[in-house]
This record gives sequence, structure tokens and C-alpha cells, in this order.
Amino acid sequence: MSGRIGNEAAVERALEALRAAGIRSGEVYLRESASGTVEVKDGAIEAQTARGERGLGVRVIDDARPGFAYTTDVTESGIAECVDLARAMSRVTEPDPDLHVAAEVPPAVDLKVHDPRVAERDAAARAEVAFGVERAARATDPRITTFRKTEYTDAEATTVLATTAGMHGSYRESSCAASTSAVAAADGQRQIGFHLEGGRSVDEVDPAAVGRRAAEMAVRKLGARTFETAKMAIVLDPWMGQQLLGALTPMFSADNVQKGRSLFAGKVGQRVASEGVTIVDDPRRTGGSRSAPFDGEGIATQRLTLVERGTLRGYLHSIKTASHDGAPPTGNARRGSYGGPARIAPSNFHIAAGTDDPRELRRRFDRALEITALLNLHTIDPISGEFSLGAAGIVLERGEATYPVEGITIAGNLTHLLSSVAGVGSDLTFKRPMGLGSPTLLIADISVGGTSR
Amino acid sequence: MRIDPRSVPIERKAALLRRVDEVARALDPRIHQVTATYSESVQDVRVANSEGLHRSDLRTQLGIMALCVAKDGEVLESGFEALRGTDGFEIFTADAVDDLARTAAKRAAQNVGAVAAPAGTFTVVLSSSAGGTLIHESVGHGLEADLNLKALSVYSGRIGQKVASELITVVDDGTVPGKRGSQAMDDEGTPTQRTVLIERGVLRTYMSDRKHAAKLGIERSGNARRESYRHLPICRMRNTMIVPGASDPAEIVRSVKDGILVAKMGGGQVDVVSGNFAFEISECYRIRDGKIAEPLRGATLVGQGPKLMSEIDMVGSDLGWSTGTCGKDGQGAPVADAQPTIRIPSVVVGGKVT
Repeated sequence: MSGRIGNEAAVERALEALRAAGIRSGEVYLRESASGTVEVKDGAIEAQTARGERGLGVRVIDDARPGFAYTTDVTESGIAECVDLARAMSRVTEPDPDLHVAAEVPPAVDLKVHDPRVAERDAAARAEVAFGVERAARATDPRITTFRKTEYTDAEATTVLATTAGMHGSYRESSCAASTSAVAAADGQRQIGFHLEGGRSVDEVDPAAVGRRAAEMAVRKLGARTFETAKMAIVLDPWMGQQLLGALTPMFSADNVQKGRSLFAGKVGQRVASEGVTIVDDPRRTGGSRSAPFDGEGIATQRLTLVERGTLRGYLHSIKTASHDGAPPTGNARRGSYGGPARIAPSNFHIAAGTDDPRELRRRFDRALEITALLNLHTIDPISGEFSLGAAGIVLERGEATYPVEGITIAGNLTHLLSSVAGVGSDLTFKRPMGLGSPTLLIADISVGGTSR
Repeated sequence: MRIDPRSVPIERKAALLRRVDEVARALDPRIHQVTATYSESVQDVRVANSEGLHRSDLRTQLGIMALCVAKDGEVLESGFEALRGTDGFEIFTADAVDDLARTAAKRAAQNVGAVAAPAGTFTVVLSSSAGGTLIHESVGHGLEADLNLKALSVYSGRIGQKVASELITVVDDGTVPGKRGSQAMDDEGTPTQRTVLIERGVLRTYMSDRKHAAKLGIERSGNARRESYRHLPICRMRNTMIVPGASDPAEIVRSVKDGILVAKMGGGQVDVVSGNFAFEISECYRIRDGKIAEPLRGATLVGQGPKLMSEIDMVGSDLGWSTGTCGKDGQGAPVADAQPTIRIPSVVVGGKVT
């Protein structure tokens, strides 16, 4: 393309425009990405998309007032308009003395987040991964009749970040993932099983493992019946554990703590979970799905122990929340796109592996419910900590799977859930694009809602 | 659209948010945090295809949302309310904005003092004020044509069959003025319309795009929607509702000896293959001897779509709306839902087991 401004040059252009406008404190974030997705169904390609985009986000802090704007028009005039718009936004925002931009260049580090083989995969190679998922699912059990959707997607991206205070950094990353929803049918009942795995390198997506797990999840639910309301222990395998774990992350945000929207406010040094629970956020994990050398404000990332053997050790900070608390920023101001300013979020957030054998955890109580599906995870209220979710599961009697149940709920409070963890498996698993990791968890004393007794 | 939001200075928009903050905090001393959000989008959408179609649609989406947090001792609770639509800036009257702030604040404050909802099977009255999450989750998704072509839905192959109580008529309507799911055409250029999906309990058609209408041999209903130019169109809902019936809403509440009144629903999710759904309840009360009693918190309703729809035994003469952003296959779409007050004789409520 003729006249295309390079990524580094575009960021430099925006910085110059900020300086020319007399903005002493400003930040420019650029992200260029390309991705491909193929959706297959019963051995044929159903849809294929390729996507490429480049955009630039500008944040100004003018007399302590923040303003933000972004553009996908990365040209001389597009950049100038974007800077003007960010300045216009700063006219109506409240001043905040804790707003600053990063000043230091983060040290270079290779976190193995870029695999050049990802971009080398052509459309046929992508489709072959998805076909492999379908074949594996069908081979797992003859009751797998069809699929809702089987997909392989991959992406490559370059991020450049610089500030008027001298911070400058860039990195490249790749990702790929395969998923399917397999449908099992028997005796007039149909059940769906979903599974998704992904990571930074092509080696992390094993089509056979994805298909097999989805098929097993669907088949396990066949023959599901109703269940009587009870208070009992539940078992979450690593994949289910990851889903619930995602709901905990807002409680660790220093922004939520400072605004009085977190149940962990004022609890540092106090017991917030069972002793077996250690929660870590590790943006330096080699090849981690959310690993990055610096965060969305340009602060170098670091491994953080948030909960140590049940005791709360700290929060996730941005520059602003750290300044407010007089603490150092933790590098948790994250942004996934140029289209919005950074927000506090974890990276590879996980419960550290315990010492329990997952099979032993299933046997520990005479009766427990192994969860096979959770509905409505997006409605967990991170402020009150309350959750009441639709669920399906398998009733375990002394560790043996007996029969599946559906149309039930599991309810409680996230703080109570953390304090009720009765066992933590040794099988810590990541392998998902969200970066979450969990071992098998045994949680006692959960309200399981079903038919009235 | 009477007042183009682009003609309104940003300072006036910011002032509306400050007003929300002020009104919410004034309602109850336990309100200690308020997040108010204004969002505005004006889209010039053009669709052209190789068959010679060339249509355009100017779409406005406006909204103010309020999230209030109430604190009492160690207990935190939140309350949410949104005012969203496709009309112009005139929808933000002083009264409407104050109401929004008070509703969100009241919900948060009330939940702080509420007792935990029980778990088990109950008679449930869904007030029209609850909004339409129920119809959206329990029925709507299962009537999207793409899932039916793949024979994935519990409603697949059932056109002409009885799938709900005779009291139930379900409509998806892209033409209701000002509602969040309204637009002149869908994202393949098909004009939107009022589509009767279930008529007195009988399944009539599915919500379709061009491809699935042709494959299933049904009329195009104008339900092809896409989040943006970055996405392919898929079959989606617009404004989905249960049509009002004949019962007096107050009489429906009086008819229940011991049950639960749902005044506001939150988000929901459905597994279309099994029909199992769950939705969150953000405001509800116990009904004792036909009277509204103490508020409850932390409840969820779960059930199976076709089963629930066949069991509804009273449908009110009123109609209440709610707005949301529906997620499907990674794409978000603005929608509205509506329903009259209805009675479900027996449904599982998820709450605390004591």
C-alpha cells in the first residue's frame, strides 16, 4: 500500500501532535492485528472469515483531566483528528491528580508469546484442524449426532505503546484456538457438550483432545433427570473451575476496592479463603495466553501472589489506583484493543496447584455433585459477590458417577465459596485464551436448588 | 428522531450523568457509589448486493445506564437500570432521568436489607415490570432459523404444532417506534416487519435471514443482524414479546397463596439443544396470601422452554418492556423484550438452601 505510515512512525506522529498542542502528559497505543476463522459442519466448510485491522488510541491528561479517542484512520489527518477529539473529551471530565503516564522503558523480555507458524497456516490448514476436532468427537462415542459449531481461529498482532514522558515499547504475539459444541442424542433426549482449547503456539491446540472432551461432556449429560434441593459438596474440574474463577477477578481490582465496590476492601492481611487456596496472577508465564512484557499503560508486568494460603496479600493496580494508595503500580492496566483506555484486569490469573489427587477429591465426601455445565455466569454480581447459576451435573456416590441431573441451580456468595474450598487438586490447567488457570476444586456446603423436598 | 444527539453539546450529556449521581445518592444514605454511563451511536448503514439491491438506514442508539452500590455493614448490593432506545435525545426528559436514578438506587438499597431467596419449586408471578428476559431466553433463541435448519433447537421441525399454552402468542417486531431492537431494514437489506412466531400456542415460523429462509422454505422475516461490518450476518431477535392476554394483573398476584413475585429480571442464558435456561432476578418479593410481602435477593429461575410455555396459566392485560444487549456467536446486538404479567404454577427457583 503506498503512503502507509508505519506503526512506529504513526505513534511518533501522534506524540508530536500532542506536544504541538501543548499536552504535557499523553499516551499513544497502536495495535495492528490479523486473524482468520474457519467454521466447519459435518466435514464441510460452513464459513470462513479473514480480518485485518489497525487502530490507534490517544489518551491525554490535560490539567489532570483525562480524555480518550481512537481511530482506525491511521493517516496524517486521521491521527490529527484523533488527538483533537481526545483533547475535546478532556474538557468535560473531572480532574484527577492521580492520573499519570508511564515514564520508564520496560526491560525487554522474551515470554514466548509469538509463534511464527500460526500465521503460516493457510485456509486449508485451518479447516483441517477443525475437521480433526469433529472426527475426534464422532470417534469418541456413536451417540454424537451433529455439532452446533466447530471452529478454529488464529490471530497475530503487534502492539506499540509510547508516552510523552519517554516510555516506549512494542511486542508481537500470536494466538490460536479450536472449539466445538457436540450434540449427543439418545432415547429422545439431546444434550450439548462444549470445549475450547487454545494458546500462543500451534502445538497447544490438539484437535483430538478438543473433540474428545466435547463429546464426553455431551454424552455424560444424557439421561439427565431433576434433582431435589440439597446442601452438598460440588466438584469443579479444571475447565469448570476456570469458568467460575473468572468471576472472582473484579474483586481484586484496586479501582473497585477504592470505589467501595469490592468485598475485599480493607481485607489485606486477613483470611479470605480456605488455607489450601493460593491465587496468583502471572503475566510472565512462558507462553501464557495473557502474558505480556508491559501492560496497557506501559508499566512492566510482574508475578503477583494475591491470596497466599487463604490470606489476602494485595490488589491489582493501575498507575492511577497505585498513586491513590501511595503504592507501586502492578502492571495490571490491561487493554485488548486500541478502542478503549486501559482497565484493571488480571493476566494469567489462577489458583495454584494443590497436593490433592483429583480422584481422591471426588471420593472425599459420601455424596457430591460434579458440575458439567454452568449457565448465566455473566450474571454473577462482582459487587455483592452473589451468584445463582443454572447448572447441570453428575451425582457422585463415594467417587463413583451415578446419574446426571439438569434444571438445577447452584447459589451462594463468592466469599463463602472461597472459604468453603475443601480440596485443591494437583492438576492445574490453563490452555484457554482467557489466561485463567484452575486445578480440580472440591467445594463443600453449596446450595443446590432443584425440586422441593 | 426529533433531537439529533450529535447536535447536543457534550457538557449537557455530562450534566445528565451528574444528575443521576445526585438523585441516586439522595434516595438512601446507604447508596455509596454510583456509576452512570451515557452512550450514543449514530450509524449510516448501507447494504448493496449483486442482485441489485441498494438500501440505506440511519440508526440511532442512545442510552443512559445507572449502577448503584448500597452498603450496610459488610454487605454490598448493586442495583441497575437502563433507559435505552432508537429515538433522539428527547427521550432523556428530566422525569425519565430522575426515575432511572431512583429505580437503580431503590433496587440496591432494597437488596441490602432483603433476605436470601429460598431454593425449591414455587408458583411464580412475573410482573410486566420484570421485562422480557424470559421470552428471549426460554423461547426466542430456540426460534432462530439457523439453529432450526441444523435441527439443533427443541423447536426444530415443529411448525404447525402446539408448543405453548393457548394463552401464549409470541411476536418479534422490528417496527415498534423507538424501541431498542427497531430498525427499518435488517443487515441484508430485508425490510423489518412484525413476525408472529407462536399464535395461541401454535408454532408459525422462525426468525430468518436470506439463506435460512430459502433453505427452510419460509418467508424472510428480516432478522439478519450483524454487530458491525466486521461480522457476518446471523439470525437474531429484535423486539420480542408475549402479547397481552385478558387477566387483570392485580388479580394474578391475588390468586397466589404462597409464591414469588418477580418485579425485575436481569440477564439470562439458554442451552438451545436441551432447552434448559436460567435467568437472573434482580428484584423480587415473596407473595403470601395474595399480598406482596418481604423483598428477596439472590434468586434465579431455571427451567425448560417448551415445558414452561405450556404451563403458563394466567396472562395479564398489561405489557412491560426492558432493554438488553443479546450475545450470540461472539456478536452483540441491541434488543428489547416485553411481556404482560404472567403466572407460572410451578418452577424451580435457585436460592439459598437453609
